[in-house]
Amino acid sequence: MTATVEETGSAPRRGARLAGYAGRAFLPIVVVAAILAVLPPLWFEDSPFTTSLAVKALVFASYGVGFNLIFGCTNQLFLCVGALAGVGGYSTAILSDRASLSIWAAIAVGTVSAAIIGGALSWIAVRRSLGIIFTGIVTLVFSLAFTNVLLGQRDLTGSETGLVLNEAAASLGDDRVGGYYLFAGVLVGCLLVFRVLQLSHVGWAFRGLRDDEMAAELAGVDVARYRIYAATVGSAMIGLTGALFAYSSGFISPDTYGFQNVDVRVLVLVAFGGLGTLLGPVIGAAVFAILDERLSASLELREVLYGVFVIAIFLGFRHGVVHAVVTLFNRLFARRRAKSTLQPSRE
Amino acid sequence: MKAVILDGIVLGLAFGLLGVGMTLVYGLGGVINLAYGQIVVVGAIVASLVIERGHSQALAAVVGVLAAAGVAVLLDLTLMRPVYRQHGDERILLGLLLTLGAAFVIGGLLVWRYPTGALFISILGEPISILGVPMAVGAVWASVIALAVGAALLLFFGATTFGRGVRSVIQDETGARLVGINPSFVRTVVFALSGALAGIVAITQSMNGPLDVNRGFELTTFALIVAVVGGLGSVAGAFLAGVLLGIVSTLSAHYIGQYITTVILLGVAALTILVRPRGLLGR
Repeated sequence: MTATVEETGSAPRRGARLAGYAGRAFLPIVVVAAILAVLPPLWFEDSPFTTSLAVKALVFASYGVGFNLIFGCTNQLFLCVGALAGVGGYSTAILSDRASLSIWAAIAVGTVSAAIIGGALSWIAVRRSLGIIFTGIVTLVFSLAFTNVLLGQRDLTGSETGLVLNEAAASLGDDRVGGYYLFAGVLVGCLLVFRVLQLSHVGWAFRGLRDDEMAAELAGVDVARYRIYAATVGSAMIGLTGALFAYSSGFISPDTYGFQNVDVRVLVLVAFGGLGTLLGPVIGAAVFAILDERLSASLELREVLYGVFVIAIFLGFRHGVVHAVVTLFNRLFARRRAKSTLQPSRE
Repeated sequence: MKAVILDGIVLGLAFGLLGVGMTLVYGLGGVINLAYGQIVVVGAIVASLVIERGHSQALAAVVGVLAAAGVAVLLDLTLMRPVYRQHGDERILLGLLLTLGAAFVIGGLLVWRYPTGALFISILGEPISILGVPMAVGAVWASVIALAVGAALLLFFGATTFGRGVRSVIQDETGARLVGINPSFVRTVVFALSGALAGIVAITQSMNGPLDVNRGFELTTFALIVAVVGGLGSVAGAFLAGVLLGIVSTLSAHYIGQYITTVILLGVAALTILVRPRGLLGR
């Protein structure tokens, strides 16, 4: 950010510096996109099993980016990631099945409804000035109520047996390369939105209200409005991913979007990667996908390990494991770089 | 109708007992213990193991309660120490996340080691008739225990020196320290008390039906709802909210349907936070 603050140099040089800064800001996304693009041909083109693992990692990375925008950037503890994704997924499934809406229109409706619900939850939290704890409880309550409604409305949602989406295109299935590229595209899109928001005036407001809410409010930042922005955009990302996942996997059940299956995982992987950082969710999702595959034999031990991770992360690595590793790296090589490329926006 | 309301009161006393352990810990240090349900399950599994060895149910109940209290103390002495070093929102958030982690560790280990573990304490006897409605003996016992525990807690906080010390820490930590009360010791004792309450919940719940190893998360949720509606930190509030929620719950289960009941209870909790964040009897 120093480049834009300093008022030295002529206009063209400043322009060049700005362009250089923007380039550097988007470099991580380009790198991620490139890695995602070459991964299938190099690694798992013909293995449906590995592909579906990779798709799951991508889905969780996108959930993570949305959650990061809400919790990491504006301190709103939304414990309803699964429910928001479920709003997207179930609206898509029910609308395309019952109302015979075209699948893409249904996905759009699902995304918008998730965004509206997320925005509304944030609006309520801001209006009633709920602290972090009550925001957490209200969203957790929403999440559990949503699961119960899904279980109860048997004719509409199929309850535990779930819903099958018939219209899914085979080439975009979650075990095909087409599905992989679909979700890779979604993830890169989410990252771009996240970065653009960080670079704009919205990002300044986010950092202000994250560091000191009162000071930000006094400095003229409309904290309430930016919170609702973040929740709406983040929920839209989560809803879109949930809707596309429903379409791609061709089958959803309340478990697909359950609190214990989605929220805990998203929280762990975002915290692992580093709250509020651009690439934190991506790195977290990749690490946990590999971990999951290794531990697929024992679900219970995986749960134990998640618990240990949560405790260890929040006790020892408050800024994420990635941040800790980068700091260690910098110290070892005595290169006191002011900012690491992984976290260009958190001074 | 009379039977439904009586059932509601029985369920409500169980809810109240469940919520009181949660509410005490929050009132004291601002920590919402998300591992509470798992501590209940620890008590249940330990008690069931004692019964399996051929000992009496009474001994099993005592050992189960002690085990739950022990786990709670262990949590307090390890994970809660860094939490209490924080203040305000930081403390609440860290407490929430660390106990969530603990819930997963405890729950995962229990399900892994005892996948079919369950506690069922059977109390034989003819149904007891109350106001002309026959009630199962187990349910009556559970309610009597809940009432006794509630009365004992109110007495403890109202009439003993240590109880008043606890209340002083709830009101003002620094002030309590200035008059010679050690907040961290008080917290450990209250955590142990909350663990023992969780153990008692395990015993009373299993008098109505088997309490199995997977119930932890559900119990935490209900404890949280009761504590929130009653007012976080209020013992009498937890029991009042428990009884109200219990009656609402059985009425709606009887007249509307089972699945909508949970949604209604969750809705009541959300509404309480929005309309009256300090709960029924909260300060």
